[in-house]
Amino acid sequence: MALIESIEASLVRVPLAATDKEGAIRELVGMLSEAGRVSDREAVLRAVLARETLGSTGLADGIAVPHGKTDAVPDLAIAVGVAPGGIDFGALDGQPSRLFFLIVAPPDKSGPHIQALSEIARLSRSKALCRAIVNAREPADVVGLLRGD
Amino acid sequence: MQAIRRILVYIDGSGESYSAVRLSVVLARSMGAELFALAVVNTRALGELVQAHIFLEAEREEYRRDLEGDVERYVNRVRELGRKKGVAVTAESVSGAVCEEIRNAVARHGADLLVLGEVAEVRSRREELAAETERAARMVPCSVLIAKDEDRIDDLYEAL
Repeated sequence: MALIESIEASLVRVPLAATDKEGAIRELVGMLSEAGRVSDREAVLRAVLARETLGSTGLADGIAVPHGKTDAVPDLAIAVGVAPGGIDFGALDGQPSRLFFLIVAPPDKSGPHIQALSEIARLSRSKALCRAIVNAREPADVVGLLRGD
Repeated sequence: MQAIRRILVYIDGSGESYSAVRLSVVLARSMGAELFALAVVNTRALGELVQAHIFLEAEREEYRRDLEGDVERYVNRVRELGRKKGVAVTAESVSGAVCEEIRNAVARHGADLLVLGEVAEVRSRREELAAETERAARMVPCSVLIAKDEDRIDDLYEAL
């Protein structure tokens, strides 16, 4: 399944309420939980935070891609958050992160997981697109931008 | 003159690609053609994720092993789908970039027909540009068949 097909407005939050790294991850995991996409919220949180301990998933140019593998999701699950003010995510370039893609998948769905991450890697190369997403006012606008509407 | 002698079907674990396999089994048996199946461990995507700093080196290895396990399952299932209908399938898994590996396999097996699963309805311009199998369909020198109408394909397969 393509990333684009997985993202719904209900899984997009603009702006995130969180102001720090763990809070942002918690909020994004909470969105998946509220949408019924996870069977064990704490297990998902642990998986994502465990990955962050190995190295930050904060990339350059304000994008962060926290991710993890866990049996606590039946399928690939994605939540998107925007923090226009920026959150210190320990990013590569030392700059605050503003656009967050949280991706979790079960261990036996590595193919879709990698496909989704690859799509984000491609999207992140377009600074204009990322800027437009960060400036979006509504979740539906973010979905539209990601779909290329 | 036999119109189709060697068929190659690409399998990625999706329902659409298994429909392509069923249709290929039907075609191979009715035309007396050899059937080859290909699954690809997309190591190029893994490399891109490391390059983009989304993956750590250790994650690349972990996910590569996961993907190898996945394609092994795909390949076994394809063999089983052929075996059920008395069609021998030469199924293989390779590592690399999907589009290039499909093209290489077409050349390696001398395939004169490539069968691909239906690509889901395109919902974004970016997705369209990113579709590896669509690129493969454009690049291979042989004829290409896109398997559509899953119900009809299932009926054809079951009727064999």
